[in-house]
Amino acid sequence: MLVMKNINKIFQTADIQTHALRDFCLQVNEGDFVSVTGPSGSGKTTFLNIAGLLETYSNGEFLLDGEDVGKLNDNGRSRMRNQKIGFIFQGFNLIPDLNLYDNVDVPLRYRGFNGKERKRRIEENLERVGLASRMKHLPSQLSGGQQQRVAIARALATDPRFLLADEPTGNLDSEMAQSVMSLLEDINQQGTTIIMVTHDAQLAQRAKRTIQVKDGRVSELAIVTPHLNQAIA
Amino acid sequence: MLETGLILRALARNKVGALLIALQIALTMTIMVNAIFMIQDRQQQMQRDSGLDEANTFYLTNTVFAQDYNIQAHLQTDLHTIRNTPGVIDAVQINAIPLSSSGWSMALQHESGEDKDAIGSAIYMVDEHAINSMGLELIAGSNFSQADIELRKDGQSTWPAKTIITKAFAENLYPDDWQSAIGKTVYISQTQPMQIIGVIKALQAPWNGWDGVERSMLVPFQRESKGSYYFIRTEAGRRDELMPIIEKVLAESDKQRIIRRVTTVEDTRLRSYRQHNATNKILSTVIITLTLITGFGIVGLAIFSINRRTKQIGTRRALGATKGQIMRYFMMENFIISAFGNMIGCLGAVALNMWLVHTFSLSPISFELIAFGVVTLFIVGQLAVLYPARKAAMIAPATATRTM
Repeated sequence: MLVMKNINKIFQTADIQTHALRDFCLQVNEGDFVSVTGPSGSGKTTFLNIAGLLETYSNGEFLLDGEDVGKLNDNGRSRMRNQKIGFIFQGFNLIPDLNLYDNVDVPLRYRGFNGKERKRRIEENLERVGLASRMKHLPSQLSGGQQQRVAIARALATDPRFLLADEPTGNLDSEMAQSVMSLLEDINQQGTTIIMVTHDAQLAQRAKRTIQVKDGRVSELAIVTPHLNQAIA
Repeated sequence: MLETGLILRALARNKVGALLIALQIALTMTIMVNAIFMIQDRQQQMQRDSGLDEANTFYLTNTVFAQDYNIQAHLQTDLHTIRNTPGVIDAVQINAIPLSSSGWSMALQHESGEDKDAIGSAIYMVDEHAINSMGLELIAGSNFSQADIELRKDGQSTWPAKTIITKAFAENLYPDDWQSAIGKTVYISQTQPMQIIGVIKALQAPWNGWDGVERSMLVPFQRESKGSYYFIRTEAGRRDELMPIIEKVLAESDKQRIIRRVTTVEDTRLRSYRQHNATNKILSTVIITLTLITGFGIVGLAIFSINRRTKQIGTRRALGATKGQIMRYFMMENFIISAFGNMIGCLGAVALNMWLVHTFSLSPISFELIAFGVVTLFIVGQLAVLYPARKAAMIAPATATRTM
């Protein structure tokens, strides 16, 4: 489903060359729940950005659903993000001027669904995260945990092949974090593949697989599920 | 897919900036449309036909300072000299110059007597050479004959028995059929009869701002006055060459008078409409300045809005928006703001025009002009937002994961 082989990402400034990812290899299969941990500056956000097609890589091979990402132009990457990837951000990234309904509607409009289909998907996914009754509320009227649930509903609404979560509980207290984590586990149980970047070792352990990134490489694999050997060294 | 609904709802929750720009667009629209209307009105006034052969005519003043001066004899000598100068088509003594801002007027009425309705007209006292000298076009009736010409002394209150009037004046006097004016008797100074013997196509009065500027009449008088104008028409292209020659010939032929103010009719027109031209330039400057300020305002608001929403734009990109969709978002947002501003602007433009019509008796504004204003401001808005929108489209999707 997601295969990265020898991915390198080099940031070049006038004087300095920074190697954010070095020969990074990873395979994620359908139904996986992979947590990615590592110290600050280890390259895990760079990995997430490349995995989510938010930025390009310097060299290597990256296949997503069998499609060579390196051959896509900007519009192609936008289309693939919209169709195959759902994002959950640490800061929720909801649009403050739009209510919950409209926030979930944003990626659906980019997908080109008609009004009836969009309505069905919005209501279904807000229901799924337990916020159907508040769809006319603005994000500012919700708690952090609820806002993250809306972001999850927005990510799920397009039926993505996998979810990319960037510190999804980073801005939440422990109770809300547990609640959001449980929701992600439920979503994974229902078949959605999840890749989650987190600092929180305890939450990382709840994933089926945990990988650690250090100095831009996958440095260690922690056994949580039998998927261990599917990471490509 | 267009995000019109989402944009509208987002604008409704964040309306101060957008409202201010919409009001600025409305104000620009109101002023722009009415200013263009006023410019057009003035341009139409300036383009009106004076009736004269302006390119080939000029005039000069003849001021006698000598005592015991035989005005009549010298007048005939002067006219004979001018008319016989090679290159001159004809010349005439006249009491006033069209568009010069200074002249005579009287009123004509259908019936003799006081308290009868009368219509005002400019009066040009001329001989039978006037039509040829001024380049006028006689479109009905006949010209004066030499026998019709009377001498007029300063202060004389009686009038000749014949007149030639402009078509516009004939239409005012006989609205049903201007050609029926020929042969009709009208009354000047309330009781003195005057027969209309001819109609000329056009001859403007000396005052360009007068609503009866197209109403003029020729009366067959030669004035026995110490101050008068000679109006001269030359062959095509010879006016400038002949002006100093005639001035010199007249000045040297008689030292008991002064020849002054040798002026072309074209210069007179320019002077007459100097105020119009200046006002049009000021109005044009106002229009351009206001439009630029509005354009810059739109650029400023859009850049501010984009800077404020950098992460939001990155998030939209992450959620699958293409660069084109981001550009369209901001262009559509501006289109909606412009539409609102234009709507208010249309109402403002019509309201201001109604006031102008009521106060200055202008004609009502045309629908085409309002449509022009609307289209112009939409184009200005879209052009102004183009650069900020492109800037927004260049925001990287990875911005969504950055801590800002």
